[in-house]
Amino acid sequence: MFKNGTDNRRAFLKKSLAIGGAAGTTMLASGAGADTPDPLITEIQDWNRYLGEGVDSRPYGMPSPFEGDVVRRDVAWLTADAKASVNFTPLHKLEGIITPNGLCFERHHGGIAQISPEDHRIMINGLVDNPLVFTMEDLKRFPRHSEFYFLECAANTGMEWRGAQLNGCQFTHGMVHNVMYTGVKLKDLLAEAGVKPSGKWVLPEGADASHMTRSIPMEKALEDCMVAFAMNGEALRAEQGYPVRLVVPGWEGNMWVKWLRRLEVGDQPWHHREETSKYTDLLGDGRSRRFTWTMDVKSVITSPSPQAPINHGRGRTVITGLAWSGFGKIDRVDVSIDGGRNWHTARLDGPSLSKSLHRFYHEFDWDGSELFLQSRAIDEQRHVQKTKNALRKIRGENSIYHNNAIQTWHVKPDGLVENVEIS
Amino acid sequence: MSDNKLVVGVFAIVLCISHNAFADAEKGRAVFAQCAGCHMVGEGAQARFGPALNNMVGQPAAGVAGYDYSQAFKQLSKDGLVWSDAELDAFLKAPMQYASGTKMAYPGLSAEEDRKNVIAYLATFTATDQPAEQVVDRKETENTIEQSNQSRPLARDAILPEHGVLHLGRIALPEEIAAWDIDVRPDGMGLPEGSGSVETGGELYDAQCAVCHGVFGEGEGRWPILAGGHDTLEDERPEKTIGSYWPYLSTVYDYVHRAMPFGNARSLSHDDVYAITAYLLYLNDIVDEDFQLSRSNFLSVRLPNEDNFYFDDRENEENYVLSAEPCMTDCIEGQARVTRRARVLDVTPDGD
Repeated sequence: MFKNGTDNRRAFLKKSLAIGGAAGTTMLASGAGADTPDPLITEIQDWNRYLGEGVDSRPYGMPSPFEGDVVRRDVAWLTADAKASVNFTPLHKLEGIITPNGLCFERHHGGIAQISPEDHRIMINGLVDNPLVFTMEDLKRFPRHSEFYFLECAANTGMEWRGAQLNGCQFTHGMVHNVMYTGVKLKDLLAEAGVKPSGKWVLPEGADASHMTRSIPMEKALEDCMVAFAMNGEALRAEQGYPVRLVVPGWEGNMWVKWLRRLEVGDQPWHHREETSKYTDLLGDGRSRRFTWTMDVKSVITSPSPQAPINHGRGRTVITGLAWSGFGKIDRVDVSIDGGRNWHTARLDGPSLSKSLHRFYHEFDWDGSELFLQSRAIDEQRHVQKTKNALRKIRGENSIYHNNAIQTWHVKPDGLVENVEIS
Repeated sequence: MSDNKLVVGVFAIVLCISHNAFADAEKGRAVFAQCAGCHMVGEGAQARFGPALNNMVGQPAAGVAGYDYSQAFKQLSKDGLVWSDAELDAFLKAPMQYASGTKMAYPGLSAEEDRKNVIAYLATFTATDQPAEQVVDRKETENTIEQSNQSRPLARDAILPEHGVLHLGRIALPEEIAAWDIDVRPDGMGLPEGSGSVETGGELYDAQCAVCHGVFGEGEGRWPILAGGHDTLEDERPEKTIGSYWPYLSTVYDYVHRAMPFGNARSLSHDDVYAITAYLLYLNDIVDEDFQLSRSNFLSVRLPNEDNFYFDDRENEENYVLSAEPCMTDCIEGQARVTRRARVLDVTPDGD
């Protein structure tokens, strides 16, 4: 693949690792023909001769050491303390629609609580016939269900409201992940306690030091919310709320209370901190929307992108990305390589599930000239992504939350990619 | 699931027998449960994700043969680090700060007592005189079940609750609900008896809140600003404070009570929370310095920005839903021109 064989390849890998695959890699033309035989082919390599590790060398398997740069990353200046902070999913390195558990972005308000499942209790109280307490064992005796859902922080892409700011889809769009949750339906738990007719709202509460709370309307609680104890087939990761979290499909991630310990039924919303001072959308006129729960239709090209430049020169080029909507399935994604002048309907690949990430591809022959890459998703209810300027015209620049605008990547003639805004 | 309980049961018996002799170490055993996923101790202990932890005190850093240590620990070993109680304590407090680059992805034991106990527990493992402790050894678990089959209660003797549809869980006791149901609403539901003055609140605030939120509520560094910011909500850089933005005072009471001070949640009394809430009103020029806040006058205080919130109406935005097929060709005239670049701001973190 690389013209000058081993040394160049190793130097390239080393360099890529050192700079996280971002700018700085030299363009390596492929397909130009080999002048000398490739020693990777003509010489016997260590791994061709010597034995590798045996079974059980890692009782819990880990990624290949060559994937060491595929990690969550934070933006240190965003928050005051790592225990009330966020990091980002490396979307530019992922394939398909499933996010590996160890790469799902994290958001904590009081650090990662470590709770033994034997010490965990879940209470239902408030406007119910019987206030109840469940152990984790009790919980697993309700009918179990498995569903794929994306979880997106309402502030995903929030740093981009005032202009292009962060160079990498990990940072601009990485507060999203998509896993298969296994758990029980919230409506089954509520039925066990018996909701009184006056019960119109549910308040989930976490057991961690932030005691996270949000008000959820009963209609949503009964529609599709889950109380989940597993993700992608194994127990929840501690940083995702082990032993149990709430799943609120299609709605902003802050509502998916982790380390869930209590569900209170009430007749009114609680207007707690995370639904008043935070997660309300300040508009240009100084007034604010509250209860903006649904995550809008959205898409982003994950490669090429600033952390995933084009290293192969002109010729066959693959554009890929992710699309999702809190309203249901993605109907289609259009891709533009000229900054929205002309659009091509992309190829959706893999499972198309409601409120789950969708993978799209657009393959084309690049002539080596500069590109302005954009993607535009449309969901099954005909919601569509707007340009950043169109969204700012309606909402101003101070919303922080719910920025689902069309993202532009500028591919330069050397294959490097930059986050830009265009006319 | 029931397997776990049995194992715990067996441990519990051991714990009772030896409790007096090894009080600290036994508490340390419980703390060690969160380490046991990665570390083994006792006879026959081997490396898992982390090295075996026998004979720790007096051992040089990165001293367990056959374990592939991080560069961080290889360096500490070169620097001559030998584990002592004090060094173990410092490491366990904040592993990733102590040895930046360690493979031990664990935030640390913040409670000093936990650290002391777990170090005391590790001290009980001096090579050969201890039985293997393999918390998740499958064979041991299976043996335990076989041996204890005789004492397992019969399934048919289990008592089924009468409540509900599937008869699962149990009725919550009033004391349990009272312990957890601490939420407060704008209509006053959940407010406990109590009161506090601006003056008392000021003393509490200076001692417990000002380090992050600033003496005047101006916010240190990136910590939240709590006061000021009036008439800034339409500005380029709005300041969203309790006085300028928050709609309800009940939110202040609820949040301070449930989550503050950061790192010591639930440590404030009801009177403390009333006092701090009163002081935050004072910092925002909403009450005078001689004000006293209590359950009885709580609902008389309104925050200035309450009326400026309204329910999500995104669906009314122009083009929120497509009315016609979107343009596919020649949609914009002229070529695209860059108007803003991310690298101008240059705030992207470096890869590592």
